Amino acid sequence: MGEYEPASVLDCEGLQCPLPVVKTAQAMRQLEPGQVLELKATDPGVEPDMKAWASRTGNELLEIRQEQGVYHVFIKKAG
Amino acid sequence: MASVAWDPEEGGKVLYVQTHGVADPGRSATPFFLAASAAAMECQVAIYFTMYGPQLLQRDVVDKIGPKGDRGQPLSYFIKQATDLGVRLYVCQPSLDLNDLTIEQLIDGVEMIGGAAFNDLAMTADAVISF
Repeated sequence: MGEYEPASVLDCEGLQCPLPVVKTAQAMRQLEPGQVLELKATDPGVEPDMKAWASRTGNELLEIRQEQGVYHVFIKKAG
Repeated sequence: MASVAWDPEEGGKVLYVQTHGVADPGRSATPFFLAASAAAMECQVAIYFTMYGPQLLQRDVVDKIGPKGDRGQPLSYFIKQATDLGVRLYVCQPSLDLNDLTIEQLIDGVEMIGGAAFNDLAMTADAVISF
């Protein structure tokens, strides 16, 4: 899982909508353009939510993968 | 009264309308959830409280009710989540009168608008979502 080298990892496991989206938006503000955030979440809505969020904000959704019930979302901050 | 128009330079604009009050706690928090999500999407977001909606903003109510009663977070938690992201809260005078409330009884940060300002916000929003 190291290929994106996230600058920050945000653990939202166990948190429900809208917290993964809200905390992701806050965490992305701390990053520099080009840096990657890894979001870990268990909310079943996280996949469509993060697709909509990235599309709306212009940040790049690199990948969403699910491992043992946890979604790992990799997002690259827009430049 | 200050202008309440949307900033034309900034992203999407979403206006929520909350008409339910303390009699139906299950309907109290969702507009705040959705508003927080929209604000996190870099949209401008406002919630307009009319009919019984202003009841939800009373200082001495926000910590006492919640969408799941005693089994979850109080309404104040969801309000803060939204306002921390810049969601604006509006009421109008006739709705305060309907509920025998004054603006002083409401939490800080609630702004007073009238029907014309509300209609202008609605006509210039990208979406208006009413509860």
